[in-house]
Amino acid sequence: MKQRIGVYVCHCGLNIAATVDVAAARELARLMPGVVVARDYTYMCSDPGQALIINDIKEQGLTHVVVASCSPRMHEPTFRAAIQKAGLNPYCLEMANIREQCAWVHQDRDRATAKAIDLIASAVAKVAWLVPLQEREVGVTQAALVVGGGVAGMHAALDIANAGFQVYLVEKQPYLGGRAAQLNTTFPTLESVSDLLKPLMKDVVTHPKIRVLTNADVEKVDGYVGNFRATVRERPRYVDATKCTACGKCVEVCPVTVPNAFDANLTTRRAIYRAPDGTFVVDERACTFVQDRVCPADPRCESVCPENAIDLAQPAQSHEFGVGTIIVATGAAVFDATKKPELGFGAYANVITSLQFERLANAAGPTGGKIVVNGKEPKEVVFIQCVGSRDQTTGNVYCSRICCMVNAKQAHIIKEKLPDAKVTVMYADVRAFGKGHEEFYDRVRKEGVRYRRGYVSEVYRKGDRIVVRAEDTLIQKPIELEADLVVLGVGLTPRPETDAIADLLSLPRSGDGFLLEIHPKLRPVETAVDGVFLAGACQGPKDIVDTIAQARAAAASAFAPLCRGKVKVESATAVVNEELCAGCGLCVAACAYGAPAINPRTGTARVNAVLCKGCGACAMACPSKAIQLMQFTPRQIISQVAVLA
Amino acid sequence: MNNSALVIGGGIAGIQAALDIGDAGFKVYLVEKEPSVGGRMSQLDKTFPTLDCSACILTPKMVDVSRHPNIELLTYSEVTDVQDAAGEFRVTVKRKPRYVDVTKCTGCGSCAEACRLKGRVVDTFNAEIGKRSAIYVPFPQAVPLKYTVDPTKCLFLTRGVCGKTFLCKDACKADAIDFNMKESFVDLNVGAIIVATGFDPFNAALKPELGYGTYPNVISSLQFERLSSASGPTAGRIVLNGKEPQEVVFVQCVGSRDQTTGNLYCSRVCCMITAKHAHLVKDRIHDARVTVFYADIRAFGKGFEEFYDRVRAEGVNYRRGYVSEIFKRGEKLVVRSEDTLLGQPVEVTADLVVLSNGLVPRPETDPIAKLLNLAKSADGFLAEAHPKMRPVDTTTDGVFLAGCVQGPKDIPDTVAHAKAAASAAIVRLRSHG
Repeated sequence: MKQRIGVYVCHCGLNIAATVDVAAARELARLMPGVVVARDYTYMCSDPGQALIINDIKEQGLTHVVVASCSPRMHEPTFRAAIQKAGLNPYCLEMANIREQCAWVHQDRDRATAKAIDLIASAVAKVAWLVPLQEREVGVTQAALVVGGGVAGMHAALDIANAGFQVYLVEKQPYLGGRAAQLNTTFPTLESVSDLLKPLMKDVVTHPKIRVLTNADVEKVDGYVGNFRATVRERPRYVDATKCTACGKCVEVCPVTVPNAFDANLTTRRAIYRAPDGTFVVDERACTFVQDRVCPADPRCESVCPENAIDLAQPAQSHEFGVGTIIVATGAAVFDATKKPELGFGAYANVITSLQFERLANAAGPTGGKIVVNGKEPKEVVFIQCVGSRDQTTGNVYCSRICCMVNAKQAHIIKEKLPDAKVTVMYADVRAFGKGHEEFYDRVRKEGVRYRRGYVSEVYRKGDRIVVRAEDTLIQKPIELEADLVVLGVGLTPRPETDAIADLLSLPRSGDGFLLEIHPKLRPVETAVDGVFLAGACQGPKDIVDTIAQARAAAASAFAPLCRGKVKVESATAVVNEELCAGCGLCVAACAYGAPAINPRTGTARVNAVLCKGCGACAMACPSKAIQLMQFTPRQIISQVAVLA
Repeated sequence: MNNSALVIGGGIAGIQAALDIGDAGFKVYLVEKEPSVGGRMSQLDKTFPTLDCSACILTPKMVDVSRHPNIELLTYSEVTDVQDAAGEFRVTVKRKPRYVDVTKCTGCGSCAEACRLKGRVVDTFNAEIGKRSAIYVPFPQAVPLKYTVDPTKCLFLTRGVCGKTFLCKDACKADAIDFNMKESFVDLNVGAIIVATGFDPFNAALKPELGYGTYPNVISSLQFERLSSASGPTAGRIVLNGKEPQEVVFVQCVGSRDQTTGNLYCSRVCCMITAKHAHLVKDRIHDARVTVFYADIRAFGKGFEEFYDRVRAEGVNYRRGYVSEIFKRGEKLVVRSEDTLLGQPVEVTADLVVLSNGLVPRPETDPIAKLLNLAKSADGFLAEAHPKMRPVDTTTDGVFLAGCVQGPKDIPDTVAHAKAAASAAIVRLRSHG
């Protein structure tokens, strides 16, 4: 071997040096095969530490470098840059993790030192076989796809478009606004949500750089960071918006009635209906004519329309867009309260969810903003918090973050609209943690809302009233509260469509079912897939303000590739030896990122190096050992393991 | 417009904002008043709820920011003047003298070893539970790893004499120490400014009934961070007066949700910090009896509730009630409280009491608000342009907020907020550039 290896043992202050005898490790490293220089230093990552390495490469002609310090997650980029500065290929570096994997987890100094020496020997054995790899960059399509047209998606889209990039904003519903469009007022400032949304939606819709596709689904995404291709299916609206005058004659004749999800199922609508943004649209899953070409109505909507705006044979449209980055902003669903049958939701009309209360309190809602249930104003109202949150029985162990304040706001609205009503909130902990939230909680209690701490065990009917049975943990007694209206503070859950979007983009989920950010503390919007970012409640429950911050954060992450116009991609990728490949396709099945494919012409596998994450799953799966993962070839790994034997 | 940005504050918020703007191709000046970037996060031991080592996840970012070709780091510096001229800001930055030539200093530490005041200067980085020299680096992973003479402590700088000879100068092989160094000023032109100046912990001495400052074994949560940190003064051993505490009591909402201190707001992070601390005590001292006095447990972030459940399963005793008084009885501290679930007053004995202090605006927020014409909200933090829809914008065009200067936040919320501010700045620089 002509390799000239340098070994650098870091003290990391006392982090390593307190447990590992670094001088002994250095002395033994000097004797290892191929090693021409070994040094130790307080902080290898510091400028003087790096200078030691750089000088040795230049003066002693090192070909490979081992740094024995912390995890490569930490300083591999630092040392790769350092050896590159001295003229070495950055991939001729190996790190021995003697901090996290040794010093921090052991107490016995002698044995920890012996282990550190083994780890160094192992790294030295491997580094001798490392070959230079090329750093690669790919170009970036300077456009973005934003999936979801709620508050998160709209804010992300606006930032990206305002910076001058093309944005495709795809929304599943026929209208923009998402969950926020259903809400009445904000907490703690009590502003009308629709007043806040209108200018935002106008900015989005009129923006020359944003193409909005409502009533549309992302069907397919191919490609990789910088070069995604998205296929979007725009479902037919069946109503030509340029002709429709919104006269509503079509709705009068439509024979199909379905629950109105926008009103949280408090009302019903027809299969053809006026969407919240004022446009008319046909719900294709409800319309019997679209589904089966039959409709009992005579005349049908198509023929009563004076403007001839309806065309029930309208086809779907398919679009394909090239984009450099993707932002997922698909939001959250509301917990289905029928899963807690003891609370009477679905059984009693005057047990409603907090989302239904939003519609009830909304001037544009079914009651014009009057709080009436069964035609009567309630005199006693009970709010129940943590429905479907912090609850082992439903499997939702997490807190939904917003329900405490939603309930506080709703309790305030009751006191405002019905000053004599008796309002009680049954809670576990009141989580009023945002700006002005605690102050609002104080205000609501001063307004006479009674907060009682305890879990509700049952809601049942007694005559024409309902009874809430609970434990008051502060007086340590079971209590029963009579009510005319019970509002369930339902939690947030992942949307059922999360499965589809996670599959489409190969995104992992966290234990709670929401989409998973790549690092819980420092990378809250990035995902395991380069170029794909998360915004809003699809990542976990959030209020509007935190959603907007996260959406704009996702835009910031998208700016790096978009502004630079190119991205670095992993160099240590899998490589197929076509001579050995039998074309069995097991590698294709093993890869989570869609990197290998069978070339139909040669019948052998090829790995798309840009998609490859260097995980090695394909190399493991290959029965012919035709795939090697650079930086982890069998020879490199066997050398690394053999010295430990 | 000028195509560069200024970020004031080099904590995790400022670092993240600078990295995002730099990555988008714009020049960034990152101004930090301390000798190193890192901010509050560099003082923390572990992060909740994943128990990641705080320094281990932060220091790579600190290194990134120092290595970034588009970022110019101005540490130990303060913004002293800002002129708003037609959408462009003319900024004056004071560079305080370190009395150490950073081009020569190798960070070897011989000066601090030699300093006459070695082990005698109260160490603010260690939340005052350790001592350092008058010449120092705040912490071993400091960026830049350059020494600084503390002008408020150095005998020569405060009294004009330090014995017959300068011990530090004599010890410095690089000849880097220069007591003739003067402050200097740098003028910058920028198109956007991000304010990321962070928070201070509530001063628990303002609640004298809790005994902070009176009893050495009543400590703040920041002091606990340093105590449990492997790089802290006790190398991570939870010991007080040489002994491991057997009974530990945590008191939450100290200086938060409290009319008597005027801080009505919730500080958002203390519940989880305490849960983490309680876990660390059980982890290091298995037999310790750990009690947490709380008002409401606010475990609202991803994985937080799960962590709170875990800590209780580990045997930490959560008791709901306000603590009225902490006093000494014999060798022990007594925490007098009400247990609102039992409906009776209780007394719990302790060897260590950790006060979970809230977050308050830094005093430096005022001059910065004045310089940039920014409004404050009722809680004293800087006010965003709209509480729901514009969390990072301010009433001054081109000036954005990042992190706890706008209100208490945990690390991921701070990072998201900082990235949002960066996005706002990038949009401005690109659309006017």
